[in-house]
Amino acid sequence: MMIKGYEVVVGLEVHAELNTKTKIYCNCKNSFGLEVNTQVCPICMGMPGTLPTLNEKVVEYAIKMGHALNCGINRICKQDRKNYYYPDLPKSYQISQADIPLCHDGYLDVIIGDDVKRIGIERIHIEEDAGKLLHSDKFDGSLVDFNRCGVPLIEIVSKPDLRGSDEAKAYLETIRSILRYIDISDCKMQEGSIRCDVNVSVHKPGEPFGTRCEMKNVNSFSAAVRGIDYEANRQIALIEAGGTVVQETRRWDDAKGESISMRSKEDAQDYRYFPEPDLLTIVVPEEKVQYLKDTLPELPNAKIMRYVNDYSISHYDAAMIVDVPEKSAFFDKCMNVGCKAPKLLANWVLGEISKFMNEGTAIEDTKLTPEKLVAIVNYINDGKISTAAGKTIFDVILTEDKDIDAIIEEKSLSQVSDASALEAIADEVLAANEKSVNDYLGGKTNALGYLVGQCMKASKGKANPGIMKDIILKKLTK
Amino acid sequence: MQIDIKRIAKLSRLRIEESEAENYENEMKNIISMVERMPEISDELTIDADNVMTLRPDELADVRISRDVMLSNAPKVVAGCVVVPKTVE
Amino acid sequence: MNLYEYNAYELSSMLKDKKISSRELTASVFDRIEEVEPKVGAYLYTNKEAALAKATEIDNAIANGEDLGRLAGIPIGIKDNISTKGIPTTCASKMLENYKPVFNATVIEKLEAEGVVMTGKLNMDEFAMGSSTENSYFKSTKNPFNTECVPGGSSGGSAAAVAAGEAIVALGSDTGGSIRQPASLCGVVGLKPTYGSVSRYGLVAFASSLDQIGPFGKSVKDVALLQDAICGYDKMDATSVNRSYSSLYDGLSENIAGLKIGIPKEYFGEGIRPEVKAAVMNSVKELEKKGAIVKEISLNSTDYALSAYYIIACAEASSNLARFDGVKYGYRAQNCDGLVDMYEKTRSEGFGREVKRRIMLGTFVLSSGYYDAYYKKAKLLQKRILSEFNEAFNDVDVIITPTSPFEAFKIGERSGDPLAMYASDICTVTINIAGLPAVSVPCGFSASGLPYGMQIIGKKFDEQTILNTAYAHENIFGAFKMPTL
Repeated sequence: MMIKGYEVVVGLEVHAELNTKTKIYCNCKNSFGLEVNTQVCPICMGMPGTLPTLNEKVVEYAIKMGHALNCGINRICKQDRKNYYYPDLPKSYQISQADIPLCHDGYLDVIIGDDVKRIGIERIHIEEDAGKLLHSDKFDGSLVDFNRCGVPLIEIVSKPDLRGSDEAKAYLETIRSILRYIDISDCKMQEGSIRCDVNVSVHKPGEPFGTRCEMKNVNSFSAAVRGIDYEANRQIALIEAGGTVVQETRRWDDAKGESISMRSKEDAQDYRYFPEPDLLTIVVPEEKVQYLKDTLPELPNAKIMRYVNDYSISHYDAAMIVDVPEKSAFFDKCMNVGCKAPKLLANWVLGEISKFMNEGTAIEDTKLTPEKLVAIVNYINDGKISTAAGKTIFDVILTEDKDIDAIIEEKSLSQVSDASALEAIADEVLAANEKSVNDYLGGKTNALGYLVGQCMKASKGKANPGIMKDIILKKLTK
Repeated sequence: MQIDIKRIAKLSRLRIEESEAENYENEMKNIISMVERMPEISDELTIDADNVMTLRPDELADVRISRDVMLSNAPKVVAGCVVVPKTVE
Repeated sequence: MNLYEYNAYELSSMLKDKKISSRELTASVFDRIEEVEPKVGAYLYTNKEAALAKATEIDNAIANGEDLGRLAGIPIGIKDNISTKGIPTTCASKMLENYKPVFNATVIEKLEAEGVVMTGKLNMDEFAMGSSTENSYFKSTKNPFNTECVPGGSSGGSAAAVAAGEAIVALGSDTGGSIRQPASLCGVVGLKPTYGSVSRYGLVAFASSLDQIGPFGKSVKDVALLQDAICGYDKMDATSVNRSYSSLYDGLSENIAGLKIGIPKEYFGEGIRPEVKAAVMNSVKELEKKGAIVKEISLNSTDYALSAYYIIACAEASSNLARFDGVKYGYRAQNCDGLVDMYEKTRSEGFGREVKRRIMLGTFVLSSGYYDAYYKKAKLLQKRILSEFNEAFNDVDVIITPTSPFEAFKIGERSGDPLAMYASDICTVTINIAGLPAVSVPCGFSASGLPYGMQIIGKKFDEQTILNTAYAHENIFGAFKMPTL
């Protein structure tokens, strides 16, 4: 994407909260939205004399993400302290990783429109989250809630391979999708479980990269898009006006739709990183690294390609199903229990199932099973029931644990595809509608629709409309 | 050896009075000059792979300390939160 | 003989045999505290009521035949940087004047389980930074052998309390000599255990990679008993070492025939007072007579150890002490104009001068552009020092040096000059840098009656051999004699 002849270069640092049971350095509950300062202990509140102990799941989850992003794994690594003062950081240092991240040098293939673009991943490291500051205009001071202190984070740093906000958005969506698939993060944007820092620079094609600015406090994907566009335009306007971009850290204010300078390179923070002396070396056995790789589930991009290639589902539909792991898992189960019509199944997943899921009902909250949906889809595919009948059955089995065939029987929903039965109906209808027959023969082809409709009516809707139409046509042209 | 004592103090969140600055600077210089006698070492600092840490299982604590107790040492508490001077970014 | 003059191991038998009660013993110690504390000033906090109640509880438990630890009913003092739940833990700093931990340090939990009687919290240099206990915000502690002199530091309160009979045994902490140097200056036994053998959970950190809690006693046996009670793996401390720790007390033996003692010439150089050298060498000769083999060895990098020590210790301290910011606990300055002002005022008013100096030094050596020249170099030097020790221990079983280059000095004599004070640590810091165990034992007196100390250094986790050497030495030179106060 070019803006006014400039190429926009973007690098992203994504912070994702991991969904482990406990925090990264203590066994407090890792959860969101509980009453202020109730999920804290002496360790995560940084009380004097307390020491961190590293949660093994955090290391595993980060390695999983490393595998998913094709990274090298530093199975021997360490943690470092990043020192800075802020009231939401109780120890006044954050335990993070500096020179040796757990995962390094990977890539992610991102589908952008009809193309696939490979985006370099520089590193993934583990660290702890900080607490939250609460402000109120009515109150002269800020309130500190330490509940989030010590919530485990991974930071995923991309190379500056993204061009413009569209690519950034596609990249972020792919990252989120992977986090969900490997089930290491809840990815709830509104709870701040994924946040990012955005690096933006602009340059004319063929010229070297421009000076970059880092934007902090980007709390949603749409904010990332707005922030990148704003920042690119700001930099271009600056250059066009004869100015130069200075390296600085800016803060994105999404409500106002603008970024504000926080600090320039000169007064950059000096974090005084050094190895965390309270923790020893992290050594992950080679077998474990391999096991985590071997047990990685099928990742979203691979799944989309499989749906397109093996099932001839459109790329758009495949992406829509894969976007929600529950839908895709259900789809896969249906295919595994003998669904004969994948494209039809896709319509059902994206239609009826999405309908109730969008209303907040999960599949497991209903009585729907893959076997039952497959029965409906296969019956429709075989012409045994109509699509309308399928929907009637579907509505029943969502709430009742009933046999499909029993419902068909009970509600007389089976389609009549038997030729002799349908011929009898056709003869009867043709005999009773002589005028329409003559109209058709006289060239009024739309009379055919009327006749088929009359047959359907006579069959009380049970006739297979396709076969019915063929029979009438055959009789009329005799 | 020049030591920017003001900058170091600021990074340390310490305030050094003008009258003390020189004193601190001299003391620091003395210590630094002692330190600077260290020999040159060409080795690289490597991770000690023998010094392995046991990781903690991801299991919840069975004992919890109440919020009141957790905040009992805080200088100022309102509505279950620690109060600090207003932070503005 | 008063009860407070006995050793813990003797009192332990007397309690078990019901010859005395813990209540009597505790009362005796508190009588002694009331008698001499005005002269010594070892304590920052005492709670006689709670101690006597605990003693009674232990007496009842003994009467009921309950299975208690060897230190059950023994009055013990705790250095004030070890977290005690609900009991002030000030680190002798204005910063933590009103701070009461909401949890116990692991060593305190272990001692509680053992059934000890805690007498109170002992004075120290602020945040364990110092070698004289003069850096305490609250008061200075006096050396029981001469109350015009310092007791050493930073665990000066612990050493002085044990020497003066104000506690039977005590816990201190040692980052660069803070147990051994005051033990030496107060004529008692002090052990700095192998790094990782005693949990640091609840010890307010000075320098995480060097700090270690350890015991003080009037005798080697007492130190062995207390070390047995506090050592062991702790899952709360990632740096604690998971191995089996056999009883040092049960393993004590004075047989040192064939023991190879290394004498590193670098520890007997210019900076060491000749009388101290003579006293240590006299002790070594006596050990030789008991069958030990003495060898001169060399530890080349010793000269640089003090520099490496101050860089590593101050770097870690600058980060460890950053949490004292007036937000969650401890001192907060009044009338602040915004957040940064609150931080700066709180920390400038809450910390003493030596602490500020070390925080600044640590901040400096970690700051961008200086990290490689200082911190990284110090870590490399640390590796070299460790490998020199490992090499030396291929040939010898223990290494003997003076503990302190000089005996106790007058209060105020060195406090004006940081480098003169840091010189106190030249024989001890290397051991922390290398993570080794070392014990200081008394080895004679100066003309003016001040104790000298000898340091016995061992291989990692070989506390038994150094304590056996110390035990043999103690049996030659005789038991501790309490100074008249």
